[in-house]
Amino acid sequence: MAENDRTKQPKILVLATLAGGYAGADSAGQAHADYPANTYVLPVMCPVMFPPQFFLRAFTRGIDGIIVMYSGTDSPYNVEADGTAALIDRTYSLMKEHRIDTRRLRLAAICTVCVKPFLKEVTQMAELLKGLGFVKDELAAPA
Amino acid sequence: MPERTIAGDGAAAPEPVRLGVYTCHCGGNIGHVVQCERVAEIIGRMPDVVVARTDPSFCSDAGQAIIEQDIKELGINRVVIGACTPSLHEQTFRNAVTRAGLNPYLYQHVGIREQDSWVHSKDPEGATEKAVHLMAAGVAKARLLTPLEPIRLSAEKRALVIGAGIAGLRCALDVARQGIRVTLVEKSPFLGGRVAQLGSVFPTDEDPLRLLHELIHAVTAHPSITVLTQSEVTGLSGYVGNFNVHVTQHSRGVEKDTAEELLAACTQTTPDEFDYGLTQRKVIYRSYPDSYPAIPAVDWEHHDGRPLQVGGRSVELRDEPRIYELTAGAIALATGFDPYEPRHGEYGYGEIPEVVTLPQLIRILARVREGEPLTWNGHPIRAMALIHCVGSRELDGVQKPHADGQVNSYCSRVCCTASLHAAVTLRQRFPDLDIYDLYQDIRTYGRGHEEIYRHARTSMVRFLRYHGDQRPEVVAAPAGDLHPVVVRVKDSLTYGEEIDVPVDLVALAVGMMPRQIDDLANMLKVSRGADRFLLEAHPKLRPVEMAVRGIVLAGTAQGPMNIQESLSAASAAAAKVAVLLGQGQVELPPFVACVNTAKCDGTGACVQACREKGAITLQTFNEDGGELRRAVVTPANCTGCGACVGVCPNRAIDVQAWTLAQYEAMVDAIGADIPGVAGADE
Repeated sequence: MAENDRTKQPKILVLATLAGGYAGADSAGQAHADYPANTYVLPVMCPVMFPPQFFLRAFTRGIDGIIVMYSGTDSPYNVEADGTAALIDRTYSLMKEHRIDTRRLRLAAICTVCVKPFLKEVTQMAELLKGLGFVKDELAAPA
Repeated sequence: MPERTIAGDGAAAPEPVRLGVYTCHCGGNIGHVVQCERVAEIIGRMPDVVVARTDPSFCSDAGQAIIEQDIKELGINRVVIGACTPSLHEQTFRNAVTRAGLNPYLYQHVGIREQDSWVHSKDPEGATEKAVHLMAAGVAKARLLTPLEPIRLSAEKRALVIGAGIAGLRCALDVARQGIRVTLVEKSPFLGGRVAQLGSVFPTDEDPLRLLHELIHAVTAHPSITVLTQSEVTGLSGYVGNFNVHVTQHSRGVEKDTAEELLAACTQTTPDEFDYGLTQRKVIYRSYPDSYPAIPAVDWEHHDGRPLQVGGRSVELRDEPRIYELTAGAIALATGFDPYEPRHGEYGYGEIPEVVTLPQLIRILARVREGEPLTWNGHPIRAMALIHCVGSRELDGVQKPHADGQVNSYCSRVCCTASLHAAVTLRQRFPDLDIYDLYQDIRTYGRGHEEIYRHARTSMVRFLRYHGDQRPEVVAAPAGDLHPVVVRVKDSLTYGEEIDVPVDLVALAVGMMPRQIDDLANMLKVSRGADRFLLEAHPKLRPVEMAVRGIVLAGTAQGPMNIQESLSAASAAAAKVAVLLGQGQVELPPFVACVNTAKCDGTGACVQACREKGAITLQTFNEDGGELRRAVVTPANCTGCGACVGVCPNRAIDVQAWTLAQYEAMVDAIGADIPGVAGADE
């Protein structure tokens, strides 16, 4: 991690479905659970709306880890379960092409009351990023 | 072939964005952790932000008035509010901006309570920085918001009510009385549900069968209600206003003119669920003598398939299911509850014959005639104990988790009064009986319920109080003892004295469990709460409504309730259905795909990616003498999943109010260094 970034933390973006992950994050809040503050949860209707380039772009705009918290087979959308899995696969290929560690992107099925799984995913990503550091440093490293 | 019109072509230049940004203290819920003034100060310096304010409670009338005033006086045309989670007050603020004359979709809600202050209370600096970034993301999205109108669709004026217990019956009747046709679907062969199994109804001591039969008569006599027994919903598609439902109905198995003959000839038996397994019944049966419909039915689940021998004839019983297809504008779920079934050995249940559940005790009492002594297993009952909170208020780490890995931490609410009502009934019918009531807390919260508690206290019911982590123990008494069972309890009313209570019968006041309706819940895509009961969208703003529009909850499918509350919830559900369908049309949020025809070049990738029938089609248009293929969205069929967005090579399609550009703007704001926030390169 660069010296002038001492006060900064790698940032985690959580794309969480309204029917699953976002409600799960709400449940974690209602339980007053504690997790790292460098985690930013954005609600999404269904993650299949994002093309792989969206994730790549996010990694170049200051996001260091992304967790897609979808609803899996509980989704109200027919396409979500397999569509999201296929999207993540395609994105992994793109990340490899651009030499971004694929561990920075995770897919997790989180339900409306999945407090413990939500916390586990977030804290695991935070721990991982402590080791991996910032994406911009990874991209700047010689091939 | 239609002429093409391109959205936005020739439109007036957009007005400059004027943002009002509001950070709510939420009465200290946010403000005690997040420095709201600092958030407002930093956000207030951002481009397009005209005003940035804080308030103790923006959801209050006074708080909403501030926002409305800013819209009117400062010309605010985009509003961002940082507050509790959107599911709580997003609609409140949409209504507020609408009152001030702004399009409701020019408002962006940012959750900084559940998603920030409540989870980062140990890191207030981090929480404040996070709030700044989240609010900045809200601002970035708000800049790109456009006015939208809800989608208006015609609605079928028919409701489907699933479950014909007392709540389903009440709901069906109330809906029908509003001039809406109702199809009432009941899984079992008989109407009435669990109320028919009760002895009398507290607090009025009425006969439950009389209440039930009045309601059943009104329902079955109503010309707008169709009742389907032995039926289940086996298929569902569509959306509010137009749910397409498949109902499968099993055969009754017997005809009216030969029913009694077949009933008499039937010899195969199975445990009688009406008596909670205490007795046996035939597989051709009525659930109780006056059950409705009066004609018996075959229990296909337990029927062994062998023909009946009737008067020298061999009669084969056949289930020939029929499938009904119907369209319903709304669905009411009245699927009820199941009583908690104690585990084998829990308080001696299943191991000691003298341990029964409270519902079983009520069925035992129903079989004892007036003046007869109370007996069980052939033994007279001289002393008995009631134990509260069995399968309720369980403690994680103390009580053993159930099959799904959870404990029932919720209070079942009904069992305290039910136990005390049973104690008072026992005292009245058997004056010499010793009655012990073992409780954690007494929660007789309803009107007239406290009187039952008082009555029990003055009726020589002996109370013993235990702590939740030191529950009573039920053991078999040593051979030769006068009473066959001993209940051991550490009684906090006598400062922790350990007391052995010898009794002849123990009744466990079991809680209410959510009914196993996984198939139905998955089909309807409805959510459950942490207690596994079905979850309403919002307990205050959208009571009895589910998050899926057009689906409402009636009664104990939603959580433990007594009959009175169940009926109130059923009437509330009926009112929601009537409001929804009364106008013959419904409004849906405009969060559906929208094509920018200027960018679309008709690749068809969106049509291939879409899984919703008829949501996107490719159509051919005439323009400048040539033919063009363009994607066209049918909003009524679009769910807003965005599968089309992710595959479009031209970024020519988006989900309204959830566009890709808005997400990119939000991500940029979250990833950015913001001046005034620690670590930013200022």
